[in-house]
Parts: sequence; C-alpha cells; structure tokens
Amino acid sequence: MTEPEVEDKRIDIAEAAKKVNNGATLAWGGFGFQRAPIAFSHELVRQGVKDLTITTCGSEVDIEIMAGSGVASRFEIAFAAIEALGLSYVMRRRVADGAVQVEDYTNLAMAMRFLGGALNVPFMPLRSMMGTDMARLSRYRGDDKLKVIDCPFTGEKICLVPSLQPDFSIVHVQRVDKNGNAQIDGIVGEDIELSRCGKKLIVLAEELIDEEEVRFRPDQTKIPAMYVDHVVVLPYIAHPMMCHDYYDYDLEHLMMFHKMTSTEEGWREYLNDYILGVDDHHAYLNLVGWERLNSLRATKPWGY
Amino acid sequence: MGVLEVIEYTKIEFLVACASSHVRDGENVFGGTGMPLLAALLAKETHAPRANLISEAGFIDARPRNVPLSVADSRYYFGCSAAIGLIETLGFILQGGMIDVGFLGAAQIDEYGNLNTSYIGPYDNPKVKLPGSGGGNDIASSAKRLIVMMTHDKRKFVKKLDYMTSPGHLEGLGSREKWSMVGGGPEVVITDICQMDFDIETRKIRLMSIHPGYSVDDVLDNVMFDLIVPDKIPTTREPSKDQIEIMHKLDPNGIYLGKGG
Repeated sequence: MTEPEVEDKRIDIAEAAKKVNNGATLAWGGFGFQRAPIAFSHELVRQGVKDLTITTCGSEVDIEIMAGSGVASRFEIAFAAIEALGLSYVMRRRVADGAVQVEDYTNLAMAMRFLGGALNVPFMPLRSMMGTDMARLSRYRGDDKLKVIDCPFTGEKICLVPSLQPDFSIVHVQRVDKNGNAQIDGIVGEDIELSRCGKKLIVLAEELIDEEEVRFRPDQTKIPAMYVDHVVVLPYIAHPMMCHDYYDYDLEHLMMFHKMTSTEEGWREYLNDYILGVDDHHAYLNLVGWERLNSLRATKPWGY
Repeated sequence: MGVLEVIEYTKIEFLVACASSHVRDGENVFGGTGMPLLAALLAKETHAPRANLISEAGFIDARPRNVPLSVADSRYYFGCSAAIGLIETLGFILQGGMIDVGFLGAAQIDEYGNLNTSYIGPYDNPKVKLPGSGGGNDIASSAKRLIVMMTHDKRKFVKKLDYMTSPGHLEGLGSREKWSMVGGGPEVVITDICQMDFDIETRKIRLMSIHPGYSVDDVLDNVMFDLIVPDKIPTTREPSKDQIEIMHKLDPNGIYLGKGG
C-alpha cells in the first residue's frame, strides 16, 4: 500500500485568530486549571476580535481576559471564578456594568449541549436545573435557554437544553500531528463532545508528533484528524494554567493575575503588559521568563 | 482516667472534621476542592478508607498525594483508577444515581436548604456575580445526600434567596418529587457554630447540634428565618487531635486550612 500524502493543517496562532469573525460563537475547551487555551484568548485580544459568544463549562483566566478586553460580550457558561483563589473580578465588574451578559447553565447542561451538537440533534434532555431559578430565569436567549417538559414516554418532568453547533470549537491538547490527529493526556473534561460540535475546529497543541507515532498508539488519539480544520503548535499555551504531563500551573503568576484584576486599573495594567504589550505568544513567554517556565515542567509519574 | 485534654482547633478545622464524619466507608463521594475535598480526604484517612473520591473533571477513585487547587488539577491524577471526563462523572455516574454524597458551599441558603451561588442583588441588575452553578446544581439535583458547608453569617441564612442556583427541598415535602429529581437533597448543613438537618414532615431546616462554646441564641441570632429548635440539642463532637494532625498532613502548606494551627 502506498503512503497517501496527508494535508498539513498547521497555521500560526495569529492566522487562526483572524479566522474568527466579530460576533462569532465559540465552544471553548479546557476545564478548570487544565488545558485552558490561554494563548488563543491573548491572540484574539491582539487581533482586536469583538463581541464573541463564548460557550463552555467552566473556564477561569481565559474568560476573564475575553470578558475584560471586549473580545466576548456573551457567555453561556456554568462557572466563572478562579478556583481556590476566589471570584472572577473582571467578569463580576463587566456583569455589574452590563457590558457582559451571562446565560447560566450547569456543567452537565453545557456538556450535554455540546454532545447534542456533536450528535447533530436539536436538543438533549437532562435532570438538572428544574425547580430552580436556572430554569425560570434567562437573559438574551429568552425562552430558548431551555424547556422543561413532561416526558412524552414516561410523563415525568425533564429539562431540554438546546444543542450547540458554534462557528468554532477551540481545543488545547498535548500532542498533534500535522494533519490534526490530537492526543490528550489526563482528563478530557468536556472536550470530546466540544471538539465535535463546532462548524470548524481549531486544535492548539504543545507538541508536534509524526503521523507514525499516532498510528503506533491510536488509542491515544482523542480527536481524529477528520474533525480538525486547523492546527496550531506552540509551547505553554495554557500558562499560567496547567497542561497535564507538560507543565504545572504557575501559582505565583496566577495569584498576581487575581490580585491585579481585583481593580479595573490593575486589569488594564495586566492587559497592557502581558497581552497587548507583547507581539506574540513567544514574546509573552519571554516576558514571563524561561527560568520560571522551565521550573514548571511536569515530572513523571505525577504529570505536574 | 487520664487528665481531660483540651484540644485547640480553628473554625475551618472544626468544619472539615465535622463534614468528614458524614462520609461513610465505601461511599461514592464528589470531593471538589477546598474544605469539602479535605473532609473527604480526611474521611479516607480515618474511618472511611474505601470511600471512592470522584472529581467532576473526570478523576475516579482519586488518592491525591498533594491537595488539588482545581477539580481538574493534575494532582488528582496519579493514583486515581480512571481519568475520563465530565459526561462520565456528571452524566453516567451522578445523573445515573451512583453518587452517595456531594458537598456544596453557598453564599445564601434558605429554610428549605435551597442554595445561591450565582448572584447577590436582583437578577436583572446584579450587584455581585458569584461563580455560578458549575456542577453544583447537578450535584444538588442528583446526589443521594448533600452536605452543605458554610461559615455562619446572618446575611447568608435568608428568608428569600436572591437567586436559587441549586435545589434543596424547594418548597418543602414532596416538591423534589414533582421535578423527578434523582437525589434526596440536603441532609446536613454544617457551619462554624452548629449543624442543622431537615424536619422529616416539612423538610424545613432544624437545629441538629451546637458546637462547643456556642448557645442556641448564637444560632438564632444568626439566621433570618424561623429555625426549628428541638427540645434536646446535643453538642457537636470536637475534632480529635489525630484528625487535626492528619488534615494538616494533607494540606501541609495551609492552602485551605490557613497558615496557623
């Protein structure tokens, strides 16, 4: 059998960010501190992208950045805070002054919305949110936030959430080949469903591997290349968050971020110093410092 | 008989030890982060070694050697029996009815144990945006038992929530059944001054035990609804010296316990 030539889907992160039009809807990967596509949020800011709708379960530093910079004005999310540190100050201010609207779902509801989109069905049923304000109150989605119905089969109450097929899915993984076969180490969070639901999928990866390596251990492929439109390869995409088997979170930077964002002036300073004040992700990493970054390198078998 | 030993503890240590006593051996537990995680880990180190600690990010039967800061923290990874994802934990396991006990905190709680973790102030013009549900509403809807942990503050124990994020016993007896909820709802509310449970007839919150050094009036002064006060109220058991030592071994840098103690 002859080896077929595969498409090289690699582009740089600026090209990838430019593909996102103002007002687009994005499914945003990563969960909690793990595999957050921070570098992509930085690049969206640098490219001046505006008014996105971000859909995800729970992101932390990245949604602060997108809410604070005007990159995103609508969020369909379950959670906004910096776990173990405290409230999302930027999101809190933007919600209070009306610049950002948050449509509240639960983690399971968002995962089901991604699953529904991936399955190409219009809605998914679940047993959460009923009886509470989450089912009673909505913002811009109005009556299309969810529906509580009597199950046509059993008669019991069931909550239906609308599936999501956003313009882009953005997922950060550990390894990828140039064609887009993506490997994730550790937990997947909601990224299996989320990566399949978008009209276009951009995979950001820490490391480029050969197709041969993919085919040698195909069970490690969590996202087959057939779903993938664009591939971006960069180190430390999640900094100051973590990437399992690659690097730990940068607690010092994270605490600095959280402290600075407690005031609007502090947030502006962070935005100007670490995002707008640098040309690209490599310049950001240089600013953070390679001594620091190297000290975060994961060790085996711990993965952090 | 030895001399009665005076054990010193902080409010957080008391809360953690008290919460850990509600985890039974062999149970499937959602740990999360913070005090609930320490409580679940303490239970595993003491009376419930076979408790199955699950993190909603996808870690199953976790035995972290360092305390995780995030439900998705890689510190949850090594030594767990499976690292999967959210549809697994919140879907198959939790909504499937397999979680015995979940823990939640809240900014506000009402007399039926309904919780607010979303907004302070009116929904249309919120003063403070709080973290939101995360998996909280999923857990409150579907865990067999829910343990609520909060510091005691009158402004948190309210007659009416600013926003109901997670279901307690809703409007009282029978109202969870109306929404065909999988789980049984809140069983215990633990604060730094007392424990509360729920009246079987009405599902209204009821004083269960008072921590040493506090009185019924301390409790009543710090709630804004009518708390049911039974005739006999036991004193909550103090944490043991062992429990305090173990929790500090679990959190040696005082990330959740604080630097003191």
